[in-house]
Amino acid sequence: MSVATYDISAMVSKDLLQGKVRKDITFMVAGQGGDGSLTIIALLSKVLLQRGYSIYRTSNIASRIKGGHAAAFMRATSESRSCLGDRIDILVAFDIEAVQKASAKLADDCVVVFDSSRGTLPPGLVPDTGLFIPVPFSRLAVRDLRRDLFKNSLGFGLLGRIIGLPDEEAEACLRQQFKKLSATQLEPNLRALKEGQAFAENAGIAGSQSILTLPEQAKQGERMFISGNHAVAMGFMAAGGRFFAGYPITPATDVMNFLAQHLPAVGGVVMQAEDELAAINVVIGAALTGVRAMTGSSGPGVALMQESIGHCGSAEIPLVIIDCQRSGPSTGMPTKPEQSDINMLTRGGNGDYPHIVLAPGDPVECFHAGVLATNLASRAQCPVIVALDAVCHDDFTVPKFDLDAVVIDMGKRVTESDLNQMEQYRRYEITDDGISAMSFPGTPNAMNLVTGNERDEWGRVTTEPGNRVRMMDKRTRKLATVKPMLPKAVEWGDATSPIGIIGVGILGAVIAEATERLEQQGHRFHCHRPRTLWPVPQESIDFINSHERVYIIEQSEGAQLAALLRSEGAEPGRIVSILRYDGLQYTAGEIMQEILARETAA
Amino acid sequence: MTKTYAIGHPIWCAGCGHFGVQGAIQHAMDQAGIKLHETLVLAGIGCSGTVQNNVGAYGYHSMHGRVLPTAIGASLANPELTIIAAGGDGDGYAIGGGHLMHGLKRNANLLYVIMNNGVYGLTKGQDSPTKEVPIAAPEENALDAMLLGLSIQSTTFLARGITTRSEQVNKLMLAGLQHSRAGKGMAFVEILSPCVTYNDTYPQWMNKVHDVDADPDYDNTHRGKAFAANFDLIQQSRIPIGLIYTGEHASLQSSMVGEISAFHALDEAHSARVSQHLEKVVAHYVV
Repeated sequence: MSVATYDISAMVSKDLLQGKVRKDITFMVAGQGGDGSLTIIALLSKVLLQRGYSIYRTSNIASRIKGGHAAAFMRATSESRSCLGDRIDILVAFDIEAVQKASAKLADDCVVVFDSSRGTLPPGLVPDTGLFIPVPFSRLAVRDLRRDLFKNSLGFGLLGRIIGLPDEEAEACLRQQFKKLSATQLEPNLRALKEGQAFAENAGIAGSQSILTLPEQAKQGERMFISGNHAVAMGFMAAGGRFFAGYPITPATDVMNFLAQHLPAVGGVVMQAEDELAAINVVIGAALTGVRAMTGSSGPGVALMQESIGHCGSAEIPLVIIDCQRSGPSTGMPTKPEQSDINMLTRGGNGDYPHIVLAPGDPVECFHAGVLATNLASRAQCPVIVALDAVCHDDFTVPKFDLDAVVIDMGKRVTESDLNQMEQYRRYEITDDGISAMSFPGTPNAMNLVTGNERDEWGRVTTEPGNRVRMMDKRTRKLATVKPMLPKAVEWGDATSPIGIIGVGILGAVIAEATERLEQQGHRFHCHRPRTLWPVPQESIDFINSHERVYIIEQSEGAQLAALLRSEGAEPGRIVSILRYDGLQYTAGEIMQEILARETAA
Repeated sequence: MTKTYAIGHPIWCAGCGHFGVQGAIQHAMDQAGIKLHETLVLAGIGCSGTVQNNVGAYGYHSMHGRVLPTAIGASLANPELTIIAAGGDGDGYAIGGGHLMHGLKRNANLLYVIMNNGVYGLTKGQDSPTKEVPIAAPEENALDAMLLGLSIQSTTFLARGITTRSEQVNKLMLAGLQHSRAGKGMAFVEILSPCVTYNDTYPQWMNKVHDVDADPDYDNTHRGKAFAANFDLIQQSRIPIGLIYTGEHASLQSSMVGEISAFHALDEAHSARVSQHLEKVVAHYVV
């Protein structure tokens, strides 16, 4: 390999090569879509996971196939975290726009590696106290390897040296990342890697003289690196889910892709429907035959499914719906997270009908929610919605799922032997617990009529007033029956503090990090994260009414979580809403600032 | 024997064509020897959306316009069942029109029956997509679902009957049911079933029909020729009836369903298989 001589305009000064030890570090790699930002972050994730770090990974991409500005982020910490650090410690920028976007968030002691192929960086964007390394990645890749494509491997080579990664470890990682590539495709990537390392060598970044040191962390048990989407789909399968239909939509498509890959292997079916109306009704058809069935979508798709969700509530059809919430209304900002489907999920649809909304906060909870939603749907014979937020698409480091702990509850079903003991079988029999046994086509002597219209115990449509009330009340009773199965809220912090904080979903862990840091500064709070949104948890209302002041932090302009809790009795005077709807995720530092600013004013 | 729901009585007006359609469905089930408990009859919303109450099988009253996707889901989930979907021209061609072309394209093993009366009966007389001269928009042409079916290359059974010719309707319905039961795909059967109250087209339709079964020049196995013939007949204000087209194409089930037996039974063998597979999947995410 020819090691070219470069015009290194900013040689790394020796006093920066201190090998500073870091246990919490945030990386950003950004450029135009297709520049390979996601690949570099994927490589870094691999390396640091192997070193025992917990990784939180997210991305910020445009809604288009190629191009648009794309940024990938990753935070490596000794403890598991669910947000980025307050500052960007290391930035790899493939263009000026990337530096401009990151500029305000760059740490004072940041390292910025900049692709100088397309011009020099305007002054003032990188702190003077930081380290700026311009490298003509693109030009080098084209000149020496004939393709711009290889600049990410080149960048990874340099980055490896910056964080003190031994060259052979970097190579092993690259080989694993590109294991599906042919030898001829892999070879230029390896050359690019070496070229990146050679560049670092020339700049004086070698061996023990790395800029940072990321020491091995003690691994705590077996861990997984996974997104909420994959986790919830896995939970559905573990609970015996065998049928999925959906329509592609960001950020829910991952659920369908995962199941398309794995369900057929266990005799299941995945169907891509022509739209969300078809998707949910295909799933209803499957559920009518007794198969455990699920659909998944995001806000706009779930809005289309609303009539069907109400229909299942009335017709008593078990169904699981995953809602990967994104910024709304309607198309909104398709790639940006929000928690603004709460109104729709809890009170959408016409008429009154039983349903359940779960809100898990991390992939472990997503897995359990996938299992529980499938069981609850059968038990309560109603739609069960799993409301996800940014937890759906981000990747987290979590303890390994316990498959052996999964319990399958098929609910009340009549079998042929049950029928031998029964004089008559009524599909919608009025019962004390509100649940009537289901029968499925193929079972002799258990024929039923299923309808979303009001009907009598036999399933015959009727508008008789007394029957209407009895049937409505029966369906409502089901929720009281399954209430003990619903996930309780998680609480932490100082239970004696008069000041409470509430957040749902992914925000729980971010608030936990913020309050951990606030506690170090002497501020004590009592925190609460509901994990069931419908029926509205009384414990969340009690939590608010037993605190002097409660901050409800949420990602919706309309303060939908606060409105939900108020509607069932939380006293408005105690609630202070902290809202974000700019499409970005909170960091712990930002939550600290939001709370401190209000506490100071209070 | 356990008592289940009492079979319902039709709610239709005296003289409604739907009586004949229901009769043809029951006749076909009887002739084909299909057991009631192994059959799921799904019907949409509208006058036709009550037929499931009157047959004695498992019955499902679908959402308006969604009977076809629901039937497809059921047919995929338990391919052993006989799936009969029914609905009106409003349900199938208007609010559910988008699903029709995809249903025709997918070719799932089921019988789909449309009772076409060219009008919205239950809401009292508004134009449907098959109204010949719409009151609100007289320049619009009626939609022809057989031409649509012919234009989609994976259709395998397209037929149209008129309730005044019950023998032919019975024959088409039985052939359609047998087609779907044999795993050959979707049998799409449209029956002209006039609404005596809001769109009494008996006299016009009886005069306009052209029976392709009795036409020696008509080739119902040649898609292109059948399309041209249907198009020409429609241009001449005729309504083609009979077996419009029959052909071969892989069914949705043949490409999507791996195993057929006891699909909904969550037995121990299945649980063990899922666990084994998931162990491998989980391992892929372990770091």
